[in-house]
Amino acid sequence: MADLFHNLALGFGVAVSPINLMLCLIGALVGTLVGVLPGIGTIATVAMLLPITFGLPPVGALIMLAGIYYGAQYGGSTTSILVNIPGEATSVVTTLDGFQMAKQGRAGPALAIAAIGSFFAGCVATVLIAVLGAPLTKLALAFGPAEYFSLMVLGLIFAVVLAKGSLLKAIAMIVFGLLLSMVGSDIETGASRMAFNVPELADGLGFATVAMGVFGFAEIIRNLDAGAEMDRQLVQQKITGLMPTKKDMIDSFPAICRGTVLGSILGILPGGGAVIASFAAYTFEKKIAKDPSRFGRGAIEGVAAPESANNAAAQTSFIPLLTLGIPPNAVMALMVGAMTIHGIVPGPQVMQKQPDLVWGMITSMWIGNLMLIIINLPLVGIWVRLLRVPYRLMFPSIVVFCAIGIYSINNAPVDVVLAGAFGLVGYWLIKHDFEPAPLLLGMVLGPLMEENLRRALLISRGDWSVFITRPLSAVLMAGAAGLLVLAVLPTLRKKRDEVFVESEG
Amino acid sequence: MGDKSPMLGESSMSDTPSAGAGKSITPKWIRGPQDFVGGLALMAVALFALWASSDLQGMHGFSFGAGTAPRMFAVLLLGLGAVIALMGILQDGPHVARYAWRGPLFVSLAILCFAVAIRPLGLVVSGLASFLISALGTPETRWVETIIVGVCLTIGCALLFPYVLGLPMPLFPRFLVQ
Repeated sequence: MADLFHNLALGFGVAVSPINLMLCLIGALVGTLVGVLPGIGTIATVAMLLPITFGLPPVGALIMLAGIYYGAQYGGSTTSILVNIPGEATSVVTTLDGFQMAKQGRAGPALAIAAIGSFFAGCVATVLIAVLGAPLTKLALAFGPAEYFSLMVLGLIFAVVLAKGSLLKAIAMIVFGLLLSMVGSDIETGASRMAFNVPELADGLGFATVAMGVFGFAEIIRNLDAGAEMDRQLVQQKITGLMPTKKDMIDSFPAICRGTVLGSILGILPGGGAVIASFAAYTFEKKIAKDPSRFGRGAIEGVAAPESANNAAAQTSFIPLLTLGIPPNAVMALMVGAMTIHGIVPGPQVMQKQPDLVWGMITSMWIGNLMLIIINLPLVGIWVRLLRVPYRLMFPSIVVFCAIGIYSINNAPVDVVLAGAFGLVGYWLIKHDFEPAPLLLGMVLGPLMEENLRRALLISRGDWSVFITRPLSAVLMAGAAGLLVLAVLPTLRKKRDEVFVESEG
Repeated sequence: MGDKSPMLGESSMSDTPSAGAGKSITPKWIRGPQDFVGGLALMAVALFALWASSDLQGMHGFSFGAGTAPRMFAVLLLGLGAVIALMGILQDGPHVARYAWRGPLFVSLAILCFAVAIRPLGLVVSGLASFLISALGTPETRWVETIIVGVCLTIGCALLFPYVLGLPMPLFPRFLVQ
C-alpha cells in the first residue's frame, strides 16, 4: 500500500511538469477532435500522429498518445448525443438513448452524465492500473515462453469471440494477420522471408503502415461509396441547463458503477477493448432494468453505462501492455510502436527500470480526464460547429495527412504505396464482410507468438505437451479452449448475435 | 476503442446489399457468393505465401527453421479459406457487393502521386497535387472551395511538419532549391 502511494506520488511528480501537462492537454484535445469527427478513427489517428511524437521525450510522447485514446472516447459521445452520429465505434450505443434525450431537450444532462461517468470510470481505472500493476508484473516474471504463447492464444481467441459476425471469418482474419507478420527477416536465422528482395520489406511490413491502410484509407474509400454528403440532423434547440437533476444523478450512479466494472474487466482481457465494453454495458443495463422499454426512448442509464464502460476499458487496456508487454488491441499495438521508437521494450522490465515513465503516464491519464471534464462541456458548441465541415473537404485532407504521416515514419515512399495497397485490401475485406480488427491483432502478435513458440519447443526439446504440463500455461490454454467451445455452442452464439443486433438497432 | 470498423453507424448498411439485389454473375449453385469469393481469395493468398516461402528452411530436428511458421500459418489459412468457400456454396448468403470505381481509383492515385512526388518535388507540390487528385474521388467536389482549402492545408502542413515538428522533409522541388 505504501508502495502504491509512493508510485502515484512519483507519477504525479512527472505528470505535472509544464511540458507534460501541455502534451496531455494537446493529446486530450486532439483525441476529442478525432472522436467528434466521424470518418476518422482512433487507430488511424494514433498511426498518423506517431511521427509527431518522434521529437518528444518518451514520457511526453506516451502521455500525448494515451490522451488521444481516451480523449476520443469523450468526443465520440458528444456527437452521438447531439447529432445521432457516433464519431467513434465506441459510442454507437450512446446514440440510442443519448439522441432521444437531446430530442426531449435534455441534451445538457446527457452530455454532463456522459462526462461525469467517463471521469468516474477514468478515476477508477487509474487506481486499478496502479493497484494491479505491481502484482501482475511479479506474475509476469514467472512467465516462460510457453506461458506467453498460451496467453497470446487466449487473447486471439478472445478477439475472435468478441468480433462481430462469423467466427470462422474472424479466425481467418487472425491467421491472415499472422501470415502478414511473417514478412521480413527471420529473427533467429536472419533469412529473408517473402520479401522478394525489396529492401523496404526486409524489416517486415510496418504495423502503422498496414493499420493506416486498413483503417484510414479503406474507411475513406468506403465512405465515398455512400456519397460524400452525409445527412446531419443537428439538434437545433439551444442547449440549456447543463446540470443533471438530482433524480438523474440517483438514476445514473449505479449504472455508472456497473459500466465501470464491466469496462475495466473487458479492457484488461486481451482481445477486448472499448467497443465491446460499451456494447456489453448497454445490453447489461437493459437486461437488469425494471422497465426495459424505457431504453431507446431517452433512459439516462443508457448513456451513463456505455460511456463509463468505454472509458474504463480504454484505460485498463494499458495493463496487459505495461505488465506483460502484450498489446491487447490495435491501439495498444501502436503504443508498442511508439515505445519501440523511443527504445523502450514494453513488459515487466519497464515497470522496474523506468518507473517514472510508467507512473507518469498512468497519473497523466487521471489529470487528462480531469482536464477533459473541465474543458469539454464549455467547448461543446465548437465541436458541433466542426461537424458542419463537409466530408468532401475533409476526406482529401485526411488522405494528405495520412500520406505525410506514413512517409515521415521511415522517410520511405514505398511505405506510402504499401499503405495505399492495404487501403484497397481493406476495402475488399469490408465488401466481403471480413473484420479488419482481428487481422491487425494477429499481425501484432505474430512475431511474439512465433518467437515464444520456438523457444518453448526448443526448451522442451520438441515436446508439444509443454503447453499443458506447465500449470500456468495449462490454465490459460484451458481458458482458451473453454471459450472457443462456449462460443460455438448455439445458446451463447444466439446471445452474442443478439448483442450486436440490439446495438445496431 | 476504434478497433472495430470506425463509423459503424452510417454506411455499414450499404455494404452488404440483400440477396437478390442486382444481377449476379456467379452460377446458381453457389448460394453465398460473397463468402465463396472471399474464401477463394484467402486460399489464393495462402497458396501465394506457400510458394513465396518454399525456398526457406523447414524443421530440422525439433527446432523451427525460418520457413516453418510461415508455412504453418499459410496451410491454416488455406484450410480456413476452403471452409469459408465451402460454406459459401452450402449456405444462403449475400451477393458480392458492388464495387465503386471512382473513390478507390482517385484515392489510390492520390496516394501513389504523393509517394512518387515527395522526394523529387517536395511537400508543397506533392501535397497539393494529391489533395486535388483525391478530391476527384467524389462528384460532389466544388472546385473553388476545394482549391482554397487545399492551398491552406498545404501551407499548414509545410509549416507544421518540417518546422514545428522538425521532421526532415523536402519542401520544394529539387531543381528549384539547387
